[in-house]
Amino acid sequence: MAEEGQVIACHAVDSWNQQLESANKSDKLVVVDFTASWCGPCRFIAPILADLAKKLPNVLFLKVDVDELKSVAQDWAIEKMPTFIFLKEGSIIDKLFGARKDELQQKIALHSSA
Amino acid sequence: MAESGFEGFEKRLELHFFGDDPLKNMGLRLIDFESLEQVLHAVHCTVVSAVGNHFFDAYVLSESSLFVYPNKIIIKTCGTTQLLKSVRPLIHFAGKLNLTLCECRYTRGSFIFPKSQPFPHTNFKEEVVYIEENLPNNLVYRKAAVMPSKNPSYSWHVFTAADQNHHLRRNLNSDVTFEVCMTELDRHLARKFFKKTGDCKTGDLAGREMTELTGIDDINPSAFICDFAFDPCGYSMNGVDGDRYSTIHVTPEDGYSYASFECVGSVYDDDVDIVETLKKAVQVFKPASVSISTTSNSCEVWTKVARAMEPLGLKCRTFAIDEFPAAGSFVFQTFAAANRRK
Repeated sequence: MAEEGQVIACHAVDSWNQQLESANKSDKLVVVDFTASWCGPCRFIAPILADLAKKLPNVLFLKVDVDELKSVAQDWAIEKMPTFIFLKEGSIIDKLFGARKDELQQKIALHSSA
Repeated sequence: MAESGFEGFEKRLELHFFGDDPLKNMGLRLIDFESLEQVLHAVHCTVVSAVGNHFFDAYVLSESSLFVYPNKIIIKTCGTTQLLKSVRPLIHFAGKLNLTLCECRYTRGSFIFPKSQPFPHTNFKEEVVYIEENLPNNLVYRKAAVMPSKNPSYSWHVFTAADQNHHLRRNLNSDVTFEVCMTELDRHLARKFFKKTGDCKTGDLAGREMTELTGIDDINPSAFICDFAFDPCGYSMNGVDGDRYSTIHVTPEDGYSYASFECVGSVYDDDVDIVETLKKAVQVFKPASVSISTTSNSCEVWTKVARAMEPLGLKCRTFAIDEFPAAGSFVFQTFAAANRRK
């Protein structure tokens, strides 16, 4: 399954948990993009995120729709969109609110090299 | 005053829609991003940064801001953008979602460089003719007016149009909109909106720094700020606080420096809050001249504006009030610094 270099959309709680579990075992940086279909800013940043995923196959990019996975969005208290959450070895190491291109690239660079 | 330069003064357009929305009440937010980009392309601007929440989407543009609520759109653009070219495509895209235009508001101050403006913004009369040509027939109440100030080269221009049901919606509308325009900014404070030489921070990162350095994040501490710094100078931000937006745009260059602050509140808001917010916003720039347009269904909100400016040494020079279809009262006030070191 050639999933490297792509933003992986989690459509069910099971696949979400699976992805997190396997990522926690490695020391890969995980970037989760919380989006909504009715949120324009999410659509603005989507191609930029897809491009980053292509360029950085050693980072795991996950996408969660807040309506599809309501319970997950609630657990993570998502209020602004897009919200990017950065995880490493099971812990949240950073967050980014809004479709902010430069800050997104900066945080990915910062956390993927650490 | 410079002979030519970047025009900070914005043109502002607000469109209200109504209609049955079978898809979860998201209304205009369902206009796909590619369509919004088409609209912005017609106006000559692009999205540089954005954020949304459960109430609305806020976009920082290359030349100002765009806010998309389920039932209304607010676009504010500066420079030589052709804002009114967005009217027809927006009505078109809203129509595809079964949403009908029921109210239109267009406002602006006076341009610093009016001769640099392209059609239809060459003068107010042309702007009104252009808007009217693009409005549907159901908007039967229309009014255009120029509210003059003590300064003969500065006026507040207003055009509003509404459908026959606007009086039914009036009582539901407790919004108060403040449009603050500031010129002759304090030079030392304006310098903070220039990118530091040798600084390789770009766009939103540089914007975040300016927000914190200038105290803009203090104006409304509970708002989330989406900011952006332009090269080599200039700054924009959108503030998001629940269903309320705020926005600031800065043209810091000497000779034509300008800053705008706009926010929406409620007629039920605590006096102290409005006064404090306006005071803090103006104090970021310490301008020599300020104009504030207050739009609401209340005739008393403007008193808070004067109360906010007085302690800052800004004396009221103009007061004008007029009623417009659907929008309610527009109160236009200008203030000038009593003592100003040049």
